[in-house]
Amino acid sequence: MVPNIFAVPAPIRQLFDKFPLLTYPSNDLPHRTRRNGHVLYVFATEDGAAAGAPSYNPACLKWQTYLKFSKIDFRLVSSNNHASPSGALPFLLPSSTDSNPTKPIASGKLQRWAMDKSSTGIEESSDLRYEAYLSLLDHRIRRAWIYSVYLSPNAISIAEPLYVLPASNNPLVRLSIAYDLKRAAEKELLKFSAVINTESIYSEADDALEALETLLGSDKWFFGVSKPTLFDASVFAYTHLLLDEHMDWVETRLRDAVRKHRHLVKHRDRIVTSYFSEI
Amino acid sequence: MASPQEDGVFERLKQRVDPAEHRKQHDELNVRQFKQEQRSQERLAELIDDNTTQPVTISSIRILNADRTRRAFLERVISPLLSVNRNEPYTLAETLQEIGGAVDKLNRFGIFKTPISVFYDKPDQTIPTSSPTDIDVYISAQERGNYTIKTGTEAGASEADAYVNAELRNLFGGAETLSAHGSLGTRTRSSYSLAFDTPILSNPDFKFQLNGFASSTLKSWASHEEVLKGGNSKLAYISPTGHKHEFGYSGIWRQVTSLAENASPTIRADAGDSFKSSLTHTWTNDKRDYPMLPNSGYLMKTVSELAGFGPLKGDVAFFKSEAESQVALPFGSTGITLTAGLRGGLLYPLGLGASSTPEKSRINDRFQLGGPTTVRGFRLSGLGPHDGADAVGGDVYAAGGASLLFPIPKVGKETPLRLQAFINGGRLLSLKSGEKGGKTDVPTSLIKTISSLKDDLPSCAAGFGLVYAHPIARFEVNFSLPLVMRAKEEGRKGLSFGVGVEFL
Repeated sequence: MVPNIFAVPAPIRQLFDKFPLLTYPSNDLPHRTRRNGHVLYVFATEDGAAAGAPSYNPACLKWQTYLKFSKIDFRLVSSNNHASPSGALPFLLPSSTDSNPTKPIASGKLQRWAMDKSSTGIEESSDLRYEAYLSLLDHRIRRAWIYSVYLSPNAISIAEPLYVLPASNNPLVRLSIAYDLKRAAEKELLKFSAVINTESIYSEADDALEALETLLGSDKWFFGVSKPTLFDASVFAYTHLLLDEHMDWVETRLRDAVRKHRHLVKHRDRIVTSYFSEI
Repeated sequence: MASPQEDGVFERLKQRVDPAEHRKQHDELNVRQFKQEQRSQERLAELIDDNTTQPVTISSIRILNADRTRRAFLERVISPLLSVNRNEPYTLAETLQEIGGAVDKLNRFGIFKTPISVFYDKPDQTIPTSSPTDIDVYISAQERGNYTIKTGTEAGASEADAYVNAELRNLFGGAETLSAHGSLGTRTRSSYSLAFDTPILSNPDFKFQLNGFASSTLKSWASHEEVLKGGNSKLAYISPTGHKHEFGYSGIWRQVTSLAENASPTIRADAGDSFKSSLTHTWTNDKRDYPMLPNSGYLMKTVSELAGFGPLKGDVAFFKSEAESQVALPFGSTGITLTAGLRGGLLYPLGLGASSTPEKSRINDRFQLGGPTTVRGFRLSGLGPHDGADAVGGDVYAAGGASLLFPIPKVGKETPLRLQAFINGGRLLSLKSGEKGGKTDVPTSLIKTISSLKDDLPSCAAGFGLVYAHPIARFEVNFSLPLVMRAKEEGRKGLSFGVGVEFL
């Protein structure tokens, strides 16, 4: 072995190891909170998070619902995008102990994690049309949602009280955050078209909802499976928030479009009664 | 053709001058000059001495060369000296003293080149308005350039940056300064500021400052990056006995963002935006002979901050107070000095606006302790509560230390280089939960926390090292070992390097 000249000689190392001469137990943390259990960080009010109420953000609600489908026990914590390792909510911090800290799990890896943890594994449908229908949700309905919440008059009644006002009490900070939020929404929509065309955004969403209504038909869950899947959670995340009485929709085009489809409405009610009945 | 006379000159030039002879001549000349100067000084002193009680009236003061400075600004400094504006007559001694005082004031504005020279003259006695006691005063104040731009790079312990500083002096002819600063670095990712500084009522000891800034700092000891945007305004006053007071208001938008992958839940809970609206007061009484390496004297300093209370609003509410003291005791003229320092601070949570529920303290506002300039022998923010690897800070702290400084043999006590032996320690605690009548009660928890400071021994370390005091910063290389620690606190065994302005 090559002797390492930077290595500390054994007697000195032994001497160093004696220090510190005295070690007390560790200092208490500021406002110690409950540590055990899995924690899902979502957009929610403090009270809503404590009660386990549905999140007001569709991406968060989707995973909140999916974890409930998977029968995984978790807590909600009201948070914001700055807390997330990926820059966007939700993310999950698995149960940890002081000796074994865990890494956060971003939403993209949550399905894998939930499948590993859950005793009753959820099988997604292997239907060939699955991807196509999923893209309806992830593109058409999501775009209409973004337009409706952040750029239509709903920005004042929904986006502002839910996303801007809780961030800070200072008017200038709020103004800056509201501006950034609007800019981000516009940028997202302009990824898909050169101009933001309200009519085409809403009519595409209408078509998508119609397609989903037809797909569901009189089945209990999408693709005729026996137990709800991530797809059901994804649809529910939008339909629930659009139908929710607590949401102050001023511009109701998207909400009205959902209302017209009675199977989708029933699907939403079914999930609320089975999984969110206690709230 | 050279004449014989000229030949003689060449001959003489060819002869080598005896160096000893040359030196002797030179010395004699020096002595002669010195004596002459001394005599003239003595004569002047005698002259002034003989005339100290001579009545004098200042009929005019003329400031030369100060072309860019406003007349009204200079008048405030100068006009109280004119005999017209005084009830009592001057003696010569008083006049010299008063003029000296005014010149000193002009010097302290920092807009004139030093030295500022003063001339006295007798006005023409044939002018009917002049009285026999009249003198005229001429002050020659050359202005410094109206701007400086500095750029550079700095490297220190785990930090390196590049900066640009620009300063506009005497902006409106009243010693106003506008300075801009920009830097990019490894730990302070970016920092920009613009400050306007002006003396009030032509008084160099009374200043007003307006400052706007934006910065982004990597706080690796707590797994996040802090982005600040804000401004403050300050009134600074130096009393004739050297006490410095600063009153200020600041409004800062803080963002805890870009969390590390393994950031702890405590840091995640504080991620996001908060606006701090606060009033601060700083009092400094620095009576140390050389602040970087004091040989004698003491320092006392307090910083108080009230945030979010009542009309201040914002997102955080607390009263925060910090006190710092240092004393240096010399052992005769041996150059050996004992310095001892004590610091402490507390953060008292308050209700926001009219609310009575105290706001929980945040990572931005809590104290951090540990590192080369606070408690040596510990890592940066190595003391206090730790959640995982993150130093989450505390609401109450106390720290103290003592160093014995020796001059290095053969180098001498005149060089700013010392050997030191030190012991230092401290505690940093989070506010304990205190209850009174079933409700959380802040005074109870504070008393509980403060009294628990003296439970057990403080976390401490001892060591020895080398200190070098440069006029702008002090450098230390120390070898140290931690003696007492809490679990999870991060000590540092062996060598450590410190650069700073204020050490414990």
